[in-house]
Amino acid sequence: MKKYIWKKVLTGILTIVLSFCFTFFLIRCAPGNPIKVLAGTDNPNPELIEHLTTKYGLDKPISVQFINYLKNVLKGDFGYSYISNESVTKLIKERMFPTILLTLTSSILSLVLGTFFGVYAARKVGTGIDKFMCGLSYIIDATPGFWLGMILILIFASTFKILPTSGMYDIREDYQGIYKALDVIKHMILPCITLCIIQIPLYFRMARSSVLQIMSEDFILTLRATGMKENRIFNKYILRNAIIPTITMFSLSLAFTISGVALIEIVFAWPGMGRLIMDAIKNRDYPLLTGIYLMISISICIVMIITDIVYALMDPRIRYE
Amino acid sequence: MKDIFTKISSNKELKIGVIFLIMLILIAVFAPHIANYDPYVLNDDIIAKPSSKYIFGTDGLGRDVFSMVIYGSRTSLKIGVLAAAISSVIGTLIGGIAGYIGGTVDKIISEIINMFLMLPTFFLILIVVAIYGGSLKNIIIVIGLTSWTGTARLMRAQAMSLRERTFIKSAITIGESNKEILFKHIIPNGIFPIIADSTMAVSSAILSEAGLSFIGIGDPNVVSWGKIIAHGRGYLTNGWWICTFGGIAIIFTVLAFYLIGEGINNLLNPKSSRLN
Amino acid sequence: MALLEIQNLNITYKTDKKEIRAVKDFSLNIDTKDSIGIVGESGSGKSTLAMGILKLLPKGTTKTTGKILFDGVDLLELTEEEFRKLRWKDISVVFQKSMNSLSPVHKIGFQMKDIYRVHEPDARDEEVRKRILELFRFVNLSDRVYNLYPHELSGGMMQRVSIALSLIYYPKLLILDEATTALDVVTQGQILDEIMKLEEALDLTRIMITHDISVVASSCKKVVVMYGGCLLESGYVYDVLVNPKHPYTQGLLNSFPDFIGEKKDLRGIPGSIPDLSLEYKSCIFTNRCKKAKSICFEKIPKIKTFPNEWNVACHLLGGFDGE
Repeated sequence: MKKYIWKKVLTGILTIVLSFCFTFFLIRCAPGNPIKVLAGTDNPNPELIEHLTTKYGLDKPISVQFINYLKNVLKGDFGYSYISNESVTKLIKERMFPTILLTLTSSILSLVLGTFFGVYAARKVGTGIDKFMCGLSYIIDATPGFWLGMILILIFASTFKILPTSGMYDIREDYQGIYKALDVIKHMILPCITLCIIQIPLYFRMARSSVLQIMSEDFILTLRATGMKENRIFNKYILRNAIIPTITMFSLSLAFTISGVALIEIVFAWPGMGRLIMDAIKNRDYPLLTGIYLMISISICIVMIITDIVYALMDPRIRYE
Repeated sequence: MKDIFTKISSNKELKIGVIFLIMLILIAVFAPHIANYDPYVLNDDIIAKPSSKYIFGTDGLGRDVFSMVIYGSRTSLKIGVLAAAISSVIGTLIGGIAGYIGGTVDKIISEIINMFLMLPTFFLILIVVAIYGGSLKNIIIVIGLTSWTGTARLMRAQAMSLRERTFIKSAITIGESNKEILFKHIIPNGIFPIIADSTMAVSSAILSEAGLSFIGIGDPNVVSWGKIIAHGRGYLTNGWWICTFGGIAIIFTVLAFYLIGEGINNLLNPKSSRLN
Repeated sequence: MALLEIQNLNITYKTDKKEIRAVKDFSLNIDTKDSIGIVGESGSGKSTLAMGILKLLPKGTTKTTGKILFDGVDLLELTEEEFRKLRWKDISVVFQKSMNSLSPVHKIGFQMKDIYRVHEPDARDEEVRKRILELFRFVNLSDRVYNLYPHELSGGMMQRVSIALSLIYYPKLLILDEATTALDVVTQGQILDEIMKLEEALDLTRIMITHDISVVASSCKKVVVMYGGCLLESGYVYDVLVNPKHPYTQGLLNSFPDFIGEKKDLRGIPGSIPDLSLEYKSCIFTNRCKKAKSICFEKIPKIKTFPNEWNVACHLLGGFDGE
């Protein structure tokens, strides 16, 4: 178990280092001159060039630059936004909460619902409802999330006018306490539904195929031969075994989810990291962009390590290795 | 040839997928004949509803949405197929080497694959395209270079199981070089699941491109479904048709490739088709 | 008195295109305290037979006709709920892949306890534990296994766990489906010895399904030879395996090294197992039989009974069917 976790932590750290190298060299190897990239304009004035050169040590050899960059990141300094001249860390911190709120809510809901549907389909394998659910899961997989979000806006907000379509709060009102929370929930409904629809097929298929796989295992046959009731076999043995791969799915889909979330945030003008990324691209604010990328990579690695530990705790075959 | 045809028609997924794909290819090839307007030309009617004049209506600049959707198929197919080709070649080579050689080489490559799996690939593509410019060529290369890990994992497993087979062992005994064995035996014998995987890679490349165009960093010089949708976002309240049809086109195309991949997988592995 | 009477049992697997007749017109009597080995190649229907007795065949795709009388009650007539009450208490089974015969994420003790409570829901923890540990001692397992997970045991140990589990209610009938096949010879021998000792102590009746004749020879009183879903020969081990009457049994014995006598040539039986989706109007073995005569291609042989409960289905014996 210890060895397993160490291995996962090591992979995580290496991944962060890899992301770090990517961001460093992407900017340094940019076409033309890294200063142009860092300044975000093709014709920076001489003072700006001077300022950026000294700030990022661009006149020093690349190895020194790399070490400086690394030192800064280790101190939690991801650089400064060119546009607002604020630290990237601070900008991200402001936007972090809405994104985490949306990601976690939708992921957990999808995990629960997707697993539920998957288990249901597995119990009805081969029937019309099972085939329908499988077919639907493919169509949803082929659907771009941002487009789905817009269609939901068309249906629920433009046509029926029942749900807010943008932002996280009603800016005309000044709600407090419980009303504020309710307002946020109301604003969350559409983006959350969109994200759930997009993510449910993943969990659905995972749960369905792992339940079917466990159902064909020999130990299920043994349990049937003992006269144990089907419901008990299912609830106690099949589910417990089938749920394990679903947990891995949760962490594996995270990298995928985050990018989905970013696009959905843009559609619904949700004040999270997605908007920040969009703005950074528009303003060619590359230090901010790479900073966000690093932060996201690190968060994903941390969550993945946590899920791997949970996974190990649930599966004795790994726990005792 | 006839054999291939009967195989295709014996599998429902594959049959539908291939029919969809043939339709798409025809649309892309004959785009100038199908489209009744130049997709770049700004017509006088702005935000016109779908009608006999403009089948899918016009967008906020007066461009004919139907013609844009038709021409968009060229962009999507080009990006999807080329990016998937790049990622498949890289994945097959890396996975094949790791699985066949094994040992330390395999350990290192597997670790790299694990690391890539943890990376938020879409953001990486996004940053590179944002910094280096979103030409079609850049987008294809970046998507290709970042999405080979799935193929590599699959090929690695294939190579590992093939390595234990007698005909590979005898090839080693005869004294064929590693390179010969890899290219003459391992890759050709393990390629079919890779083909299925590649068609799935086409799908995800098309979706990635749509996402990039939606954010606004796609190739500015071509018509793309993602871009049509992004444009339509500004007209949600008064022009539902602008974004709707581009999205349906994406679903149709991605589904075609999914179905083909699924179909090939089912043909190769009848047992899994029962499960999935 | 017969504990299990199988009468004209037919089991058919149905697929979209064809029907596979895995067990054909099979009849057999098994007396209390018998130990009977069912041998045959893979595809001979011996495992299907076992699954049929246990009523574990998939319901939608199989059809079972005939009678399986257990203690005078036809198992095929019982409802699932009625049969459920007999399961494991009266008839239990040990499967081949012992490594997978228990859930990998639950402790062995936990699962055995859970299984004990299927029919004894009110049993106290201590009582169940005592029973399980007693069974462990029967099969030479240490108490510590109780708190282990299946993957922590070797194949032989897991097989002992499976046997202990199958004996948890001291059943009347124990079916061992290739239960020792995956084990090394030494472990296999030990386990067979343990089973035979248990049999003495617990008055077990045992059906042993295997393709290994030496297992039958060393651990069973009687033997049934199956081929293509049919019973070809049955009787006492010292009759059937010493002076086989059926050409197939003779061929089968020639393909095994002699377990008592001198070295001799080992010969396989040429040809392969019959396609069971076809309808056979002749002896099922004819196509591979070296002694086949014209009648063998024309009629299905009836079972002829010889002294000492020796049954053989072959045209070549005792004249031509007496018709």
